[in-house]
Parts: sequence; structure tokens; C-alpha cells
Amino acid sequence: MAAQPKRLTIVLAQWCPHCVPLSVVQGTRLARRLKVPLRILDIDRKAEETAADRLVRRYGDPAPDYLIPQVFLEWSDGTVQHLLTGFSEEVPRTARAWADLFRSAWLRKVLGGERA
Amino acid sequence: MSRPGAVPPLLRRALRPTSPHCYRHCTRPLRGRTVRSSGPGWLCVYACPGGAVSVVTYTEWAEKDPTPTLARFARAHTSPATLVRRWDLRLGRRHGPELGPSAERYLGRAPPTRPLWTVYWRVYPFKKKDGRPFRLFACFRHGAGSVRFFVAPADSESPTCPRCPARKK
Repeated sequence: MAAQPKRLTIVLAQWCPHCVPLSVVQGTRLARRLKVPLRILDIDRKAEETAADRLVRRYGDPAPDYLIPQVFLEWSDGTVQHLLTGFSEEVPRTARAWADLFRSAWLRKVLGGERA
Repeated sequence: MSRPGAVPPLLRRALRPTSPHCYRHCTRPLRGRTVRSSGPGWLCVYACPGGAVSVVTYTEWAEKDPTPTLARFARAHTSPATLVRRWDLRLGRRHGPELGPSAERYLGRAPPTRPLWTVYWRVYPFKKKDGRPFRLFACFRHGAGSVRFFVAPADSESPTCPRCPARKK
């Protein structure tokens, strides 16, 4: 059986304008489209910070003070796909990235049951 | 044939911000200036007309993180070089789906699949020991496609580059 999307995770901080509300709203929308739960890992909450750091270090874009938001899709076969990292240039650029992700061939494939 | 790691014009267009504005300095729009570097990638300095730098980006279409390339460049072009600290360098990979249909097609057509790696260098305005706020500025008068970074009081509208012969009195 082919792997299925299992969970969407966003690593974020509440003070970051690329994250809240933009990525929370868009992440919720994407999770709904994919029919998976959304997990939010807040880097300023001690209990969530460790999991966020681990995810970013293993699958994301690590740096001593890494960029947020970072968005990951976990699959039923255990793989983790890094989808998006915020664009440091400006918030509207990150918004455009979310919009492009929604109209991407990648999303069409995943919704059609393919692994992309 | 372009150098491995080079970023084609179509992908540069896909990466460009929409309407960037100066970060905590003025309300004028930013201009992204492409600057020559020793690396194969695309180095772009986003600064306002007064020279206040919002962010510097270096992008390679490659298989590994180009942070060391940008760090070397920044240290060689900044006075003082100690201003380039590793925690001010941040990485963001771009895979294609988040870059629009043309870039997604382009990246998907070119096996082996590699992302675009963008490294951001952003120096936030800071205070010196006497409490005065300072920030990073850029001077583009050091030859075509070249840049020098320097520190000046944050409220300076268009400070004089300390190493610029063209502006010395």
C-alpha cells in the first residue's frame, strides 16, 4: 500500500508575523485539504522546543538561530518531507509561497493519492 | 553551460520578493542589487536608497548548504568583519511547489532533483556600549557589481562609507 500523508507540522513562534496568523491559517487549510491533523510546535514553549529543534535539525533548514516558520509533512511510512520555510525578505513573499503551494502540481499529485 | 550551483534567471524571478520595504530605517522601497561573488550562486543585497541593508541573500542550486560561501564573502566585505556572526546566517531551502508553476516545472525537469538553497544574512539594528543604536549599511561605489558593508548610526539617512574614495572630502 502506498504511503499516505499522516500529519502536518509547523514550527513557529507566536511573535513572528510570517507564522501568526499567516502560516497558522494556511497550515490549517492545507491540513484540512490533506485530511491530516495539524501539529504546531512553538519554539518558545520548552515542552515543544526540543521536538521543533529535532525536526528542523533532521529534516529542515537548520541554523544556530533557524528561520521560522518551517512546515513538514509526515507520511505513513515514517518519512518526513520538508515543505516550506518562511521567506526572510518579507511577509508577503511567505504569503505568496503558501499560495503557490496550494496551486502546485505537488499538491494535486498528493491529493490524487500519489507520493510526490 | 553555467557553473554548477548557478541560479537561472527564471528561478531568480521566482525567488524575488514582491514589494520589499526598508527594515526599521525608512519607508522607502528596497532595491535588490546583484553583487559579484566568488561562488557560483546569486548574491543579492536588499538595501534602501540610503544604503541601509535589510537583508543579504545568497542562493545556490546545489546539493549542499552554501552558508560558508556567504560567510566568507560577508567577512571579506564588511568592516569590521566580526560583525558577521554565524547566528545571523539563516538557511531556507526552496523545493519548487512554493515557487510557482514555472519554477516548479523547471526544478522538476532537471534531475537529479535538488532544491535551491538560500542563505540569509540579516544584521538587526543594535546598540553600542554608550546606548547609541547602529545598523548595517552598504556602499556600492567600489566598482561594478561590488559592495562594502559598514556600520553607522541607525538614524543616519545616507551615511558616508568610511572606505569609499569617491565620497571622501
